[in-house]
Amino acid sequence: MIQKEIVLLNKLGLHIRPAAQFTKIAAKYKADVYLIRDGMRVNAKSIMGVMMLAAGQGTKLALECIGEDEEQLCNELMALIENKFHEE
Amino acid sequence: MQTLQVGAFFQDMQQRLSLRLLNSPKGLVRDVTQKDLHRPGLALAGFLDLFTYDRIQVLGNTEVGYLKSLSPEAQLESLQRFFQFQIPCIIVSNSNDVPPDLPRLADLAGVSIFVSPLSTTELGHLLSDYLDHKFAPSTVVHGSLVDVYGTGLLFTGRSGIGKSEVSLDLVERGHRLVSDDVVTLTRTADNVLMGSGSELLKHFMEIRGVGIIDICRMFGVRAIRLQKRVETEVELVDWSGEHDYERTGMEDAYQEYLGVQIPYVRLPIYPGKNVTVIAETIALNLHLKVYGWHPTKQFSAALSEAMKNRTQQIESYLEKDFE
Repeated sequence: MIQKEIVLLNKLGLHIRPAAQFTKIAAKYKADVYLIRDGMRVNAKSIMGVMMLAAGQGTKLALECIGEDEEQLCNELMALIENKFHEE
Repeated sequence: MQTLQVGAFFQDMQQRLSLRLLNSPKGLVRDVTQKDLHRPGLALAGFLDLFTYDRIQVLGNTEVGYLKSLSPEAQLESLQRFFQFQIPCIIVSNSNDVPPDLPRLADLAGVSIFVSPLSTTELGHLLSDYLDHKFAPSTVVHGSLVDVYGTGLLFTGRSGIGKSEVSLDLVERGHRLVSDDVVTLTRTADNVLMGSGSELLKHFMEIRGVGIIDICRMFGVRAIRLQKRVETEVELVDWSGEHDYERTGMEDAYQEYLGVQIPYVRLPIYPGKNVTVIAETIALNLHLKVYGWHPTKQFSAALSEAMKNRTQQIESYLEKDFE
């Protein structure tokens, strides 16, 4: 299991488009992915779950990847967050 | 440990209990950590063993009457002793007038003191109800909860297996959606598992290939529910020849959430299978079981009877064939 602390730096936070980008990547992999905010743990393959966190800019979250391809998955998601979801 | 800030409690219950804050708001940042209440009559009288000071303290007619009966010095001493403890907050019932030292010392100790016009009993009931709910253990599961013929079916399974599609199909057939994708489960005081949606997601749903849809707008208010007791979990799984699936219903399987067991059905799916009709069947079958009719057991009894009759027929036939 990989666990990472993340801070959302992009302007929109996990709004609809970023959440969709996030879940699309998550869904490609076999590993389970969870996002945790203040003890609320949601399946990050579910767009509704991710959006329910209502995580705006600056929000601190924990990312959890569990499964055989967890490492690639975690790297790809971290890259997306670091690249601020390719926002203009 | 779950905590509830006194300020949040005040905001939630101010109207229902007609609460009025008697002192400065600085005690509102304290946390309530216990769901029980305490009447501190004996503690005020000086018996401090077993004083459950960490509960909300309710001062009824007895406590206020006792304090008023004391001389000013004895009253001060009693209250000072009382406020040595870390009390979350104090509520006075029956709109009782309290001795002026009480709010003053409460202020010094940083404890909020409220007054309510309700009787102690009524206050106790309403408070317990609220605190039970607030302190009920809860968890979030990835699944969809639908009320099917009055039975709460929780659909779980891997992402993309079709939980939302099954829920949509059920709604289309007149059943009611509680929540899609994210369900909050809460264990109530009487060990019932309640499921509800989130304030934000309401009855929005994601259908792959279409996007986000609004069930309430689309199907009207009768297609939705705010909460429902979760009565059976239906896990949708990819069909695989290697797995054994329940064929007879002789064995009842259960799943546990927050220490509450609910019936569990593992449902293999493949293209062309009508999961909706099977979901309705699961719901109706559960109804029959609740009403005392267990189809597998009834069939099993009928089968045994038929076998016995067959044996008797053969026996009676052989009886006529004397050797």
